[in-house]
Amino acid sequence: MSVQTEGTDTAGGPAVRKATAAPPPGGAHAGPAAPARRGAAAPYLLLLPALLVTAVLLGWPLVKNGMLSFQNLNPRQLIQHLTEWNGVANYTEVLGGSDFWHVVERSVFFTAANVVLIMGLGTLIGLLLARLGRRMRLLLLLGLVLAWAMPVIAATTVYQWLFAQRFGVANWVLDKLGWHAMADYNWLGTQFSTFAVVTVLIVWQSIPFVAINLYAATTTIPRELYEAASLDGAGAWQSFTSVTFPFLRPFLYATTFLEVIWVFKAFPQIFAMNEGGPDRLTETLPIYAFVEGVGNQHFGVGAAISFLTILVLLVITSYYLRMVLKQEEDEL
Amino acid sequence: MRRSALGRIWPNTIAVVLFVGFVFPVYWMFATAFKPTGDIIAENPVWFPTDVTLSHFTKAVHADHFWTLVLNSVTVTVCSVLLSLVIALFAAFALARMRFKGRRGLIVTFMLAQMAPWEVMIIAIYMLVRDNDMLNSLVPLTAFYAVMVLPLTILTLRGYVAAVPKELEESAMVDGCTRTQAFVRVIFPLLAPGLMATSLFGFITAWNEFPLVLILNKDIGKQTLPLWLSQFRTAFGDDWGATMAASSLFALPILILFIFLQRKAVSGLTDGAVKG
Amino acid sequence: MKRKLAAAIVIAGMMVSVSACGGDDGKDSGKNAGPDSFKGQTLTVWTMDGSAPPAWSKDVQAAFEKKTGAKLKFEIQKWDGIQQKITTALSESNPPDVLEVGNTQTPAYAVTGGLAELGDLKKEIGTDWTASVSKSSEFDGKQYAAPWYFANRVVIYNKKIWAQAGIKDTPKTRDEFFKDLATIGKKTSAEPLYLPGQNWYFFDGLTIGQGADLVKKEGDKYVSNLADPKVGAAMEIYKKYASYSEAPKDKDEATPQQAEVFAKGKTGAFIGMGWEAGTAVAANKSIEKDLGYFTIPGETADKPEGVFLGGSNLAVAQGSKKQALAKEFLKIALSDQFEGQLAKLNGVIPNKESLESNLQGNVVAEAAAPAAAGGGTTPLIPEWAAVENTPNPIKSYMTAVLNGKSPADAAKQVEGEINKRLAQQN
Repeated sequence: MSVQTEGTDTAGGPAVRKATAAPPPGGAHAGPAAPARRGAAAPYLLLLPALLVTAVLLGWPLVKNGMLSFQNLNPRQLIQHLTEWNGVANYTEVLGGSDFWHVVERSVFFTAANVVLIMGLGTLIGLLLARLGRRMRLLLLLGLVLAWAMPVIAATTVYQWLFAQRFGVANWVLDKLGWHAMADYNWLGTQFSTFAVVTVLIVWQSIPFVAINLYAATTTIPRELYEAASLDGAGAWQSFTSVTFPFLRPFLYATTFLEVIWVFKAFPQIFAMNEGGPDRLTETLPIYAFVEGVGNQHFGVGAAISFLTILVLLVITSYYLRMVLKQEEDEL
Repeated sequence: MRRSALGRIWPNTIAVVLFVGFVFPVYWMFATAFKPTGDIIAENPVWFPTDVTLSHFTKAVHADHFWTLVLNSVTVTVCSVLLSLVIALFAAFALARMRFKGRRGLIVTFMLAQMAPWEVMIIAIYMLVRDNDMLNSLVPLTAFYAVMVLPLTILTLRGYVAAVPKELEESAMVDGCTRTQAFVRVIFPLLAPGLMATSLFGFITAWNEFPLVLILNKDIGKQTLPLWLSQFRTAFGDDWGATMAASSLFALPILILFIFLQRKAVSGLTDGAVKG
Repeated sequence: MKRKLAAAIVIAGMMVSVSACGGDDGKDSGKNAGPDSFKGQTLTVWTMDGSAPPAWSKDVQAAFEKKTGAKLKFEIQKWDGIQQKITTALSESNPPDVLEVGNTQTPAYAVTGGLAELGDLKKEIGTDWTASVSKSSEFDGKQYAAPWYFANRVVIYNKKIWAQAGIKDTPKTRDEFFKDLATIGKKTSAEPLYLPGQNWYFFDGLTIGQGADLVKKEGDKYVSNLADPKVGAAMEIYKKYASYSEAPKDKDEATPQQAEVFAKGKTGAFIGMGWEAGTAVAANKSIEKDLGYFTIPGETADKPEGVFLGGSNLAVAQGSKKQALAKEFLKIALSDQFEGQLAKLNGVIPNKESLESNLQGNVVAEAAAPAAAGGGTTPLIPEWAAVENTPNPIKSYMTAVLNGKSPADAAKQVEGEINKRLAQQN
């Protein structure tokens, strides 16, 4: 069964595995002559297509977006293809109001709450997978894979139905459990309850990735380490803290990094659920940028917000990125 | 490490509860889609559909151009996934196996690229595509979807490439293979499962993408299924039967693909390991 | 406020025409444009969901293709996200040639330069367009669209449920209406009224009924006037209506489509456009025989409630390469024959007083006409359109009041946003 999970190790793992499998440094094995003889250009040539398409299809829009953020761009300018530079007016408008900072604060809290839940529960379920018997493990894996595979728009629609005010299953269950005030509860009526539904949705969709990959990672922990630990008289908890956790740490870092990005960027889940409502109280940064820019047809301001969004995301992830830079340095 | 009977029961119980929790939304989607409307809006939920009806599906499929949208979605998804896999494979190989200046910077570049919030750059992308006269075409869509998943595909494949023992490649080269031959004959077969597993991300992303196609392709002949699904959501309002039928149809290919590719990926890896 | 004046002119027109029936002028509009000149071209026309009845589209298409030899393609647009769609479409090299634009949105699009100037067309076919109606398609003294139709909301009710409650007559005053709704609530199991919390155009009508203005001028800028007690009074009326409904307080009439809710036969009444009855019938054929209509009653029996005079114009995209063909289309679509047919089919007010005879005997139109006299629009200023962009702050205001906030507090909550949008540069 360990093979099964190797296969499911689709992402996140690699960066980790690379790190965990560090002992034999790549350089020692590479026939020193081989690459040199084939010409130093080879790696660059191999990377060229990737860099080219990234530069054209990501870099170019980014630059364009940056340029738009310094323009007064509304329907009139868009329709008539006019370019009206307005300096940093868009930025002063965005940063001057209190809205933007509220949204930043909200996005950070939202991301933090979701990532903590995803990583915590995901890790627990991953460890549970390792403990289960073969058949139960397959069953749980099946459930996880189905949740994981649900396309976001379909999943969001299903959650709207589950939490529908009338005839929604969630309200029915809560009512039957004795919480009668919930019988006709409008989940999308308040900021907190809307975020609650979105969080359940995102956590539900994200846990499988963490749990399955974490389980895959645990199967690569050499048994001898546990044996050595138990010889030293370590109990279950100690062997977890002294063997499992250190072994998984790089994996947990990498996965947390990915989850932070994914949750922070979460767009369809929030937008399709309630369009950032009620009263714009569930707008996170990407939604805010979209509503102000595309929705309100204030495209220059939208571009400025999206640029700031990228900056905020960079700040949030800077710790990990710095770590990767260092780590890669050590590796080669 | 023997466990008591009790120690075996509780993980199993939790596993069953979790299984139900994870599967229920998916199940409920399918169940609702097959239930007659009377059972959907019932005071007490009908947990198992007894009266099965296909009327919601008929309504969902009856939309204009449904099959055109299906074809467009499949085309765009498959092409963008293949494109990103090919490009990523080259890059991943270089990043995992070769030493060169700027390697570290490139890895971080791809990590940064992974962070790009595409939804908020919509207008910039729109203007670029418009000014290059590429609106209402599947080509830019395919290209952008490929790039959306490219960074993650590269980083993931790099892990798979790195996991193939270097010795295999070296021994092949000792046997007289060129580096390219060694790659094609030795490494590539071992990578196949990794490629499949990695492709799942591409499939999900491209299949789901919504804001970009909404703004780029106004011609319904060039639109994709997410637009159809979202229109259903607004047009049908509280007609949950039809909405769930549409969602089911939309989700089904990806669900099947996931289960299928998971198993493929597994057997591929086993084969590779045996041969190795 | 311009809109009061505009409304007054509409009234004048309406009153004249409804009484003077059958002003039959057999003017043959449009000269023959030579069927060959347009052969091989395809004209794309965007109409909004619900605007053009299929029979009308079919007949117009046949007439157009016969006359010009070109093809005609109607593309029906959903309301969701339509403003962004129109804006981006107008910026493209291949925009839709003709498009339907809401009367209150027209000034905003005219400002963008995306609409072609139609002064010549007006001279040719529009000299007898109802002045007030035509006004909404003018900006800066120039004609940027052709008026297509006007309509206002009515009460659409389920006769069977009202009979079950023992109500014989339709109400003539607001208080009678409330009493009837209460009776339905008591005597039947039906929901008396389906009124979601964000039916904002109904609310706009109530503000017009109260003589309230939504914006006021401060210096040379427009700012929100939502805190005006008159707006608050209108909102209190809305709240009273909503108390007879179980509809969600944070949704508008399109999510879900109120007509489809009504079609289930468990709702006493809803407030909507005449053609929404068609939506209900499409959803449930058996509801047709129970459909009834009446004018939204006002404070007193002699003066119906204020209503929002919604309307649509047809505009030609400036970027269209088929300007001549587009005008040919407008000449046909707006001809007396088809304008009359549209009025007849949809029960909407046509763009010429002489055509209003088509509404004779149309139950919907007869219910709508009395209120049109006291109708008005949203402020007809280019700045206004931004206020209605999703998420519309006025809808937030409505939900807040329905959830228990005082109108004054709720107004305070959203005024910043409204002012920001009114100040948005063009």
